[in-house]
Amino acid sequence: MPLHFEARTKPSAKMVWLAPATALALTAAAAMIVFASAGLDPVQALATFVLSPLSDWYGVGELLIKATPMILIGVGLSIGFRAGVWNIGAEGQLTIGAIFAGYLALRFGPGDGIWVLPSMIVAAVAGGMLWAAIPALLRTMFNASEILVSLMLNYVAQLWLSWLVFGAWRDPAGFNFPQSEPLAPAALLPVIIEGTRANISVVFALVAVALGWILVGRSFVGFQLRVTGLSSGVARYAGFSPHRAVWIGMFAGGAAAGLAGVGEIAGPLGQIFPTVSSGYGYAAIIVAFLGRLHPVGVLLSGLLMALIYLGGDSAQMSLGLPSAISGLLQSLLLFFLLAADVLVQYRIRYAPRGRSALGAAA
Amino acid sequence: MTGSTRRHFLKTTAAAALATGAGYRPAWAAEEVLKVGVIHMGAISDTGWEHYQAQAWRALETAYPGKVKVTVLENIAQIQDCERLFRQLSTQGNKLIFGTTFSQYASLKKLAPTLTGSHFECCAGIEAGRNLGVFEARQYEGTYLTGIAAGRMTKSNILGWVGAFPVPQVIYSLNAFLLGARSVNPAATLKVVWANAWVDPAKEKDAVAALVAQGADVLSGSPNTPVQGLAAEEKGVWSIGSTGDFSAYVRKKQLTSFELDWSSAHLGAAKAVIEGNWKPESRWLGLGAGGFLKMTTSSPDLPASVAAEMKAAEAAIVSGTLKPFAGPLKDQSGAPKVAAGAALPDQEIRTMTWLVEGVQGTLPRT
Amino acid sequence: MSSLVAQLIVATLVAGTPLVYAALGELVVERAGVVNMGVEGMMVVGAVAAFAVAMATGSLGLGVLVAMAAGMLLSLLFAVLAVSFNANQVAVGLALTIFGTSLGSYLGKSYVGMALVVPPSGLGAAAADIPILGQLHPLVWLSWVLFTATWFFLYRTKYGLALRAVGESPASAHAIGYPVIRIRYLATLFGGALAGIAGAYVSLVYTALWTEGLIAGRGWIAVALVVFATWRPGRCLAGAYLFGGATMAQLFAQSAGVGLPSELMSALPYLATIVVLALISRDETMMRLNVPASLGKPFSI
Repeated sequence: MPLHFEARTKPSAKMVWLAPATALALTAAAAMIVFASAGLDPVQALATFVLSPLSDWYGVGELLIKATPMILIGVGLSIGFRAGVWNIGAEGQLTIGAIFAGYLALRFGPGDGIWVLPSMIVAAVAGGMLWAAIPALLRTMFNASEILVSLMLNYVAQLWLSWLVFGAWRDPAGFNFPQSEPLAPAALLPVIIEGTRANISVVFALVAVALGWILVGRSFVGFQLRVTGLSSGVARYAGFSPHRAVWIGMFAGGAAAGLAGVGEIAGPLGQIFPTVSSGYGYAAIIVAFLGRLHPVGVLLSGLLMALIYLGGDSAQMSLGLPSAISGLLQSLLLFFLLAADVLVQYRIRYAPRGRSALGAAA
Repeated sequence: MTGSTRRHFLKTTAAAALATGAGYRPAWAAEEVLKVGVIHMGAISDTGWEHYQAQAWRALETAYPGKVKVTVLENIAQIQDCERLFRQLSTQGNKLIFGTTFSQYASLKKLAPTLTGSHFECCAGIEAGRNLGVFEARQYEGTYLTGIAAGRMTKSNILGWVGAFPVPQVIYSLNAFLLGARSVNPAATLKVVWANAWVDPAKEKDAVAALVAQGADVLSGSPNTPVQGLAAEEKGVWSIGSTGDFSAYVRKKQLTSFELDWSSAHLGAAKAVIEGNWKPESRWLGLGAGGFLKMTTSSPDLPASVAAEMKAAEAAIVSGTLKPFAGPLKDQSGAPKVAAGAALPDQEIRTMTWLVEGVQGTLPRT
Repeated sequence: MSSLVAQLIVATLVAGTPLVYAALGELVVERAGVVNMGVEGMMVVGAVAAFAVAMATGSLGLGVLVAMAAGMLLSLLFAVLAVSFNANQVAVGLALTIFGTSLGSYLGKSYVGMALVVPPSGLGAAAADIPILGQLHPLVWLSWVLFTATWFFLYRTKYGLALRAVGESPASAHAIGYPVIRIRYLATLFGGALAGIAGAYVSLVYTALWTEGLIAGRGWIAVALVVFATWRPGRCLAGAYLFGGATMAQLFAQSAGVGLPSELMSALPYLATIVVLALISRDETMMRLNVPASLGKPFSI
């Protein structure tokens, strides 16, 4: 192995942003290969994939409304990820947010109270945080891995919602089909761009990005979290409690996911179904990584992931490709990024007969 | 079921349609190619529900070669996406747009009145609305007939049913299945197991194992795959294709079957759009010409006498003299539900949430 | 009634087998200190690959082999990123699941709705006389062989000792001369191969059919199962049948007229896993005895 990886003394600042660009280019290339192998003109097909979803204002609104939950959750998760708190339970926290808000919407929504919507939002955030508190508690009290606990809780939350929608919450006028009554107008988030579905939750996402940016880059808490993420030993020596990092990290993700949950039922869904998310909580993990765990990066990567979702549907509609192409490209994007990331930490050197850790295996 | 109830039903909905549908009539030139859009919620691959939905637009392409262009989207599982895609299909010039499941009904009901450039049809919707027609099959007519075969062929007098979810379509289907069986074999009972999934083939197989272990020797259900039939064959018991003919997979032990056939819904709507007289209608059709159900293959082992019995019952259902939910009917607990001489009205069949006497099993939380 | 119990046992063994394969594979991976959460994705690709090959060649055996190869290919991708490049294991595993599920549905398009003619299961005439077990498919038997071999390998060979050492402390394992990276690669590939077989079992033996949504979350249950089993092969085997049996028992109860809240039943494996995890994690000795100490932590020299 003549090529060999040499650890950089500090991460390359240039590569930190060059790596996503490389990954994006490689993903586009991979997409073109898929298009070509399906007998399509690769350039034209790529243009259809990327541009056709955005051909009008409605499309732009759709992009925003699709990106919003992923940006929200992505920002929340990256706060934890920076501190080495691996919350992969956003899917469940989103679901609980939808359950908490959904209860208020079904119970009080028809009463038309002005306070219904604000209390739904508060309840959703509280619900998401409550669900995130379980892994945080088990981690801080019993040292149980928050990765596994939060993952398991995704299924529990999903089954709880399904139990409700198949049971108590089923619309009596809905032919026994598993779905709630349509939410009352008082329980729906107001649309901010006329003629689209883009609602106020888009603003929430932008606020979350700003808050995240302040927290991460401008606050002492952000510094503490980062130190904890780098080394819990150092953090403890400096007097920063690793437990506090766990709580802050889990709560940030849970609150954001809960908010995304109310955004779905009081937004594009307008009704409660047995599944309210189908994967935003997992997609947001990819978004967080693609965005380099930085709020502004998350904003961009969330929009990109949403575009790939919409593009997949366009590809099916106009190009006759299976919509599975979205998932393929999203996962490839992350693979390429993680591969490119090696260049952030390491330098590739040509060294005949050099011995290296990575070279031995690669 | 051409009796007064159905005729009345159609008449009232047609009248409602006329009242609401006027004014929503896109201009149409005869030489144009009719663009049709279809959104499948699941994968067409599932060999069940979506497969038969797809057969309908394929029939459309066959019937109007070169005159119809169908754009199909499948696997649109997120309901959040439906509204965008229906709208996109409409702005791309599709004049007739189909949804294939009830879950899309809410989106369509909201959307159809605003997208006046297209007409919309939703399978399994509740009621026709402005610019939105709905169609659904009287599956219970099919299961009543296959129930006759099951009642005649069972030795243990225990029949089995694998249910996807306890929605009325499934409930009235399994109720009629037992009523058909009891019409020829009063000792028959029906055991019900819920898979709680529309598509989870492995779990369907588990459910079959549970039913067979409890003595069921003729199985049917609301499957999306041939897996139930294959599992039953492996266990050496009969299966019945309900809403789908799986004889291509289940080579030996599929007793009989009926199929969903939505082609008349698609053909009728397309014809109406082309002729410029499309109206939002609510159609709930079963057996008979132009209906949404058709009896399909039966095993050579099904005795001719039983086949003749089924034929006779089919003719009686089509002519309206036989009503599967005619009284006297009791529910599971023995409480009377329909008096002798009466028949359950359509509206109550469509919202059925109770099990008839002789069904062993529970409805999860109803 | 005894035949009912016998049928319940057979059904449980049949239902638990994909979990046995997938969880056993993941267990070995995690014992080497690596968490690959892409089991679901590898199972999907294994299921499609096996089905495609069996359709083309008519050979179930070949289908299973190709499924193993496909699972290994995906796990190689994981290993390069997570073991060599030290990328975050959770992220890579998650991406692998999305990748595998999408790839499976992309490649599986043309095999949709095709029936595989299933040859009679069992080990043939000789085994058919054995009560209960005679009706089981050879792949069920193979899972027991593999289980025994894996147990023997982990606890009775020096290679197994090396693997466990790498999972406990890669730094000390490296210091005494074990090839840490190579061992982690091999463990990951083994996990991929077994996930592939698990997928093949579902599409070839269990349903004899390919459809989207076939694996239906069984890969994630396998990940949970390894934790539930506290990283021990014996408990893993028992847990697979317990999880498989819970579904079966619920269906049996339903058909006997006893309705159980199905969502609660379905949630039990996950809740039980959380409880087990909390119980073992709180106690340092238990942790040391059970959990591979370097689980999920990257290693570079």
